[in-house]
Parts: sequence; structure tokens; C-alpha cells
Amino acid sequence: MHTISFKRTIKLNNTGCLGLIILLIIVILALAAPLFAKYDPHAYTGLIFQRPSAQFWMGTNDVGQDVWSNLLYGGRTSLIVGFGAATLGLLISVLIGCLAAFLGGIFDNVLMRLVDVILAIPPIVLILLIAAYLKPSMFILILLLSFFLWPSGARIVRAQVLLLKSSTHINAARTFGAGLFYLIWRHIIPEMGPILSVLLIQNARKAVFMEAGLSFLGVSDPAIISWGKMMQQALSFSYLDIWKWCLLPAGMALSLTITGLMLISFSLESVLNPRLQGRKDNDYVAGY
Amino acid sequence: MLLDIRNLNVFYNEHWVIRDLNLSLERGQPAVIIGESGAGKTTLGLSILGLAGGKCTGEILLKGKNTLSLNEEELSNIRGKDIAMVFQNVEDALHPLYTISDQVAEAILIHNHENKRWAFDLACDLLNSVGLDYRHARAYPHQLSGGQKQRALIAMAIANNPDVLILDEPTASLDAPTKAAIISLLNTLQRDRAMLVITHDISIAAQLKNSIIIVLYGGRIIETGSAIQVLADPQHPYTRALLRSYPTLVMTKDLQGIPGRMEWEKQGCSFSNRCTQRTTACLETTPKLRHIHNRMVACHRGGIVPVLKLNFVSKSFCTHNVLKNVSLTLYHGETLAMVGKSGSGKTTLAKIIIGLLKPDAGEIWVNNQRIVERTLDFYHQVQLIFQNPKESFSYRMSILQAVKEPLDIENKLAEKEKHEQVRQVLSEVELPCNNSFLNKKINHLSGGEAQRVAIARALILKPQLLIADEATSSLDASVQAKILKLLLNIQEKRGLSMLLITHDIALARKVSDRIAVMLDGQLVEEGRTCDLVSNPKHEHTKCLLESSVFSQESSSHEDNFNPTETEVVISRS
Repeated sequence: MHTISFKRTIKLNNTGCLGLIILLIIVILALAAPLFAKYDPHAYTGLIFQRPSAQFWMGTNDVGQDVWSNLLYGGRTSLIVGFGAATLGLLISVLIGCLAAFLGGIFDNVLMRLVDVILAIPPIVLILLIAAYLKPSMFILILLLSFFLWPSGARIVRAQVLLLKSSTHINAARTFGAGLFYLIWRHIIPEMGPILSVLLIQNARKAVFMEAGLSFLGVSDPAIISWGKMMQQALSFSYLDIWKWCLLPAGMALSLTITGLMLISFSLESVLNPRLQGRKDNDYVAGY
Repeated sequence: MLLDIRNLNVFYNEHWVIRDLNLSLERGQPAVIIGESGAGKTTLGLSILGLAGGKCTGEILLKGKNTLSLNEEELSNIRGKDIAMVFQNVEDALHPLYTISDQVAEAILIHNHENKRWAFDLACDLLNSVGLDYRHARAYPHQLSGGQKQRALIAMAIANNPDVLILDEPTASLDAPTKAAIISLLNTLQRDRAMLVITHDISIAAQLKNSIIIVLYGGRIIETGSAIQVLADPQHPYTRALLRSYPTLVMTKDLQGIPGRMEWEKQGCSFSNRCTQRTTACLETTPKLRHIHNRMVACHRGGIVPVLKLNFVSKSFCTHNVLKNVSLTLYHGETLAMVGKSGSGKTTLAKIIIGLLKPDAGEIWVNNQRIVERTLDFYHQVQLIFQNPKESFSYRMSILQAVKEPLDIENKLAEKEKHEQVRQVLSEVELPCNNSFLNKKINHLSGGEAQRVAIARALILKPQLLIADEATSSLDASVQAKILKLLLNIQEKRGLSMLLITHDIALARKVSDRIAVMLDGQLVEEGRTCDLVSNPKHEHTKCLLESSVFSQESSSHEDNFNPTETEVVISRS
């Protein structure tokens, strides 16, 4: 077993590199939104339905807000909701998966059947119902999304923990009197690092997409600026030939984010699973 | 009661050499005093004759008469006549300018003022009876060999037919056949007199008929009982250590010494500084001789304590019974080898003891406490070494982190102390403890080194019981030998009890005190390694032995092991 050199692995993996660059740019733009945006996204600039120009880089929308500013601040929403829900979902996955695997018996059975039930429900329908009822704030949205994200992760985690549980070094730690949470924290999570990182990225992708979808359908908090809502608003002016200037930026940003996440997750998987690798890469990731 | 010693104390310049010694001798029951040099053996012999240089208190009753209260003249009447002693060091005890027969005759003449002719004839008869013919009787000491001189000295001692005969190291520095001849001579002599043999040679005790053993340590008797019983099953840790360091033909385990050295005039049990099962009581008060089993032992813990006791442990996986009513006891400082072919339930048993599996039935006792829930305290007493050392570490951890892990879990010590302890155990298992080594990853080590790290990790909690589950089977022979040597050294130093699980009976024979043979989840045979190997009872044991003999013969021609030929010396009496 070799330890992985992250730098080398990333350098040699073009897809991963591209995905990381895309995501990084989006993250930087969203984080530093006040630096790049000339206008307050909520403010009325005095001009509506402007085409892109030097003054308004991407034009203005129906209520005279700068689209570029909206795009940047909307990115914040997407990323916060995406990674918030992904992280929370992953935490629940790890907790439930580990508990089910370690405790076993009835506990395991009940938890896994719960997973089956949640997986069987089409999430978008249920979320729509709940969201339409609650008009959720960003925090509740994160909770809601993570509730639908954890089950598939929990299954994967449980399977991995079952495998790891019987490995000698974990048994050895148990013979020193290690408790459940010590084992999970010091042995299980480090062992599962690669899988968890893939899960996180995939969760994020799903969450970003779902958030955009929900706000497109108009069920999220109306005060939040979001790409989905930008698209929804643009579509309602389809009779004007200006509408595409409102729609395209948000659509492109969303697609780029999801593509970036996809690329990262795709390359992570191929790095972590030797069977998916070309011969060229075999030497530096032989650890798995 | 021919000779009765009561509360004997002997002092040399206020330093006591013998303390509170009680001993009685009878005809036909020779007493053998064993102990390390300096234990006070010779002083005891000398004080019975009133020859000890120090001050004696207490009573030495010879046929009811206290010899300690006699004056010098009365004493010399007794010496040679009622009590005779054969002194240590045959070279110095005979006068070089007189013939042997003259010297024996002189001993007779001191007590019987008859004519010289008669004394001389008697001397020749005596010498003849101890195996020296007329030619030897007329010889000067320098013309005789050591064994012959020893015989002459014995003849001299029995010249006046004393009731009590004391022999100080009668066989030291004699070769084995001569020793055997002297011992058979002693066996004929002991029938009608009381005999006290002072020796560090345990085999004398085994070969003298009907003898009792008195183990002397630091001037005190610490164990006494019939020789057969004491030798087969020593109860005091010191007696066992003494037996372990004594080479015999039947003992298959490597010799082990006793760590530390004898200390005099110390508070508490005199052996406590070298004893690995001592408690605070041992350091404070002196233990009295008590009846334990079939003998007297002076030990606060009641002799060697059982560390692990299994009572009828059973385990089944689904319908398959892996363990069926397994009961065994493992004593402090002992190595018990669990031998059996794969699938006989050995590893399951190890896992049940350490708590990785739950038994279906049965009790587990560790240090006289029944184990129901395993707390951190339990893991301080019992530790396990796994078969494959590298797998038993997370490959993400450095050596420092891995060895430190048990302390991290315990979470009691400061980081600096933990580092200190890591270094200590690493040096104990003969590994470097510099920073560059500590920061290495386990997978950069060789198998032998990794197993040493695993042993260090198990030792850092200072356990009393170490379970080694095929701990060396993944290593090559030379590394295996080193690791086992290391384990035995640690056992000697720490008094560790070891449960050695192995499929290799040849290996078990070399390192264990006892062997338990497992077959299909049952203990089919259990016994002292030497007995079990030389005289296997169960078919499966025979089968295991035969297959391992075969493998030795076929792999190398230096066959030095044949269980049927080894002679049972100790148990012969």
C-alpha cells in the first residue's frame, strides 16, 4: 500500500483538473460577489430589460436589477444550499450507516428499512409538497434536501463499515478497549475518506440541482436570490425577445456548476477505483 | 522425631542469615534443602552441628536434647557420633599426608577407644561398603578421583553410625555416572538414619527415595513438601523459577533465569523484589508457611495465582459447535500452548477471552474476577497479539501513533508521558526509538519488525496475560525464533502469563510449560509439556507429534528429538 500523492494525482488527471478549476472559479466569484458586482442585486437600477452592455454586463431584468449581480449572489445560494445539504446528508449517512453496521440486529433492520422507504418515495414530489406548505428559508431547505440525500449514502457507508468492522486493526483497537465513537472517528472515517469524498461531491451535485429546481418551481423563500428563480422569471417574459438574456446566464452557471461537480466526482471515482483506470495511471494510485 | 529444629535464627554480626526456621527430620525420610547460593543452606547445616560462626537462637533438639545449649565438650561428643556432616569441597576435607583408611579409622577412634587394628578393619569394611576396595583404602587422597574422595568422606561420616547425616553439596562437581553412584549410595544409607542433603542440584531431590524438599530463600523456608509433588507442581513462584533455570533432559522449554538478586534483611517477603505477582502486602509483612494443597508454602498470594480460568466455555456458529465445554486454567508467569489443527476452535477461544466474540455459555475468570463486562481495566490485564502483524495496524498510522493508541484510548496520561512510554516499550522489544523510526509507517517495516511493534503495543498497557494467536506463523523460522526468544525474555522480566495459540507442536514444546491439545472444539489432552510430549495419551496428540517428528526428519537430518527415548528423570522417584 502506498500513500497517495495528491498533487501528482491531480496534476495527471485532466478531467479532475478541469472540474476543480470550474468549481473554484464559481466559488471565488460567489464568495467575492461584492467585489465583482457593481450593483446591489436587489436594487432597482432605473433601467429594465437591458441587453448586455458596458454598464450592465449581462443586462437587467424585468424589475431593473443587474443580472450579473444576481448571478453572483445566486451562486452563493446554490453553493451554500448544495454543500450545506451535502455535508449534513453525509453526516447523517455516516452516523446511521455506522450505527446500523455496528449495532446490527433489530437496529440495523429498522434503519435499513427506513432507508428503503425514503428511497422509494420520489423526493421531488414530497419536497414540493413540503416546500409549498412551508415556503422554506435557506436553513430549512438545507434540512429538507439532506433528508432526501442521506439514505443512499447510509447504505454505502453501512456496507463499507460491515467490511471494515471485521478487519484486524479495528479488532485490535477493540482489544485496547476502544469505544464505538473512537472506532468511528479514528479508524472508520479515515479508512472511508475516499468514498466519503465521492459521496460528498455527488450529494452536492444533487443538492445544487434540486435547489435550482425548487426555486424554478417557485416554492422556496421569495426573498432569496437563486439561479432557479432567475430562470423562472426569465421564462415568464418569453414573449419579449429580451428574455434569453435573462435566462441564459443563470442556466449556464447552473450547468457549469453541475458539470464541474460531475467532472470532479467522475475523476475521483476513477482514481479511487483502480479497475476504472487506464494503464497510464496505474503507478501512482496503486494504493487502492 | 530424631531432629527437631524450632524457630532457629542465626546472626552474623547482627545480620541475620536464617530466620524462624522450623524443620524436623525422621529416619527414612531424607530432607533436601535447595536454594540459590547464599540462601543460607550451609549455615543451616553448620548450625545443627554447632559450627556456625554466628549467634544462634531457638532450639535444635537432637533426640529431645537442645544442642544449642551444650558446651563445646558436649558438642564434640555428639559430632561424628550422633550427627555427622559431609562437608562441601572434597579437595580440602581430607588430610593429604594420611591414607584414606587411616583417616576413616581416626574418626572411629575418636569416639571408640578400642584397639587400632579393629578400627582399621572397620574402616576398610566401611570403605568397601561405599564402593572403595582395599587398594583404594590404602591410597592417599591425591591418588583418588573426586568421586572416590566423596565416597571416602561419606564413609568417614558414617563411621560411627550417626543418627543424623548432613551432606553439604555431596554431588557438586561430580560427573553424571559418579553422581548417580553416590546417590544410590545415599539411598542405601538413608534407610536407617535421618539425612539432610544441602544442594543446589534439584535432581538429587528427585532421585532420593521418599524425600522431602525444603526450598530455602533468604534464610527462610518458602516451600516444603514431598519431592515428587514439589517438582511436578511447584507452588511458590521462586520454586518454579528455580526449576525453570535447572537443566534436565525432559525439560523442553529453554532455560529461564530469575531476574534481580537476593536481598537480605528486607521488609516483607524476602522474594518480593524479584517476584512478579507481588502485592503491597508482600512488601510489608513476611508471609507465614501455610498449608496449600499438599504442602507448606510461604506466600501471601497462596502460591502461584491463576490468571485466567475458563469454565465450560461453549460457542457455536449457527448449528456448528466450535467450542464444547472448554475449561482451562493458566497460572501467573506460565506459558500455556494451545495446540490443534486449523478449525479446532483455537482462535475462537482467543477471541472469546479478549471479548471480540461472546460465548454462548461458560464463565471467564481473570485474576479471580468473573468477566462479564469488559472495561478498560480488563484490557490492562489481558492483551492479544494477532497472527498477521501488518493487518493489525491501520496503515495510515505511524509507529508512534500505533503504539500510542492504547494509551490514547485510555486517555489518562499527558502526551509527553505517552511518548516516554512508547519509547520504553519499543526499547523493550529491541527496536530503535529515535524520531525517524517513530514516524515511519507500519507498512515500511519487515514482518518481524511489525510483529515487534505489535508486541510493544500490547505491552504498553502492562498486561498480565498475553494471548498470542499464531503470532509467529507468518514469519520465517529465524525471525520466529527471535520473536519467541523476545517473548520469553519479556515473560521472565515481567512475569507475563502467555497463552500461545499455535498449530506447531514442535514450537510449543520449545517454549511452553504446559500444552493443551484441542480437537474439534474440545480440549482432548492437557499436561506439562515434557510429560505430554514424551508420553502422549490421546490419539490426536500422538498424531500431531508424529507428523511434526516426520517433518523434522525429512527437512533436516539432525534429528535430536525422539519422544520415546527421552528419559523421565524428575518424575522417577
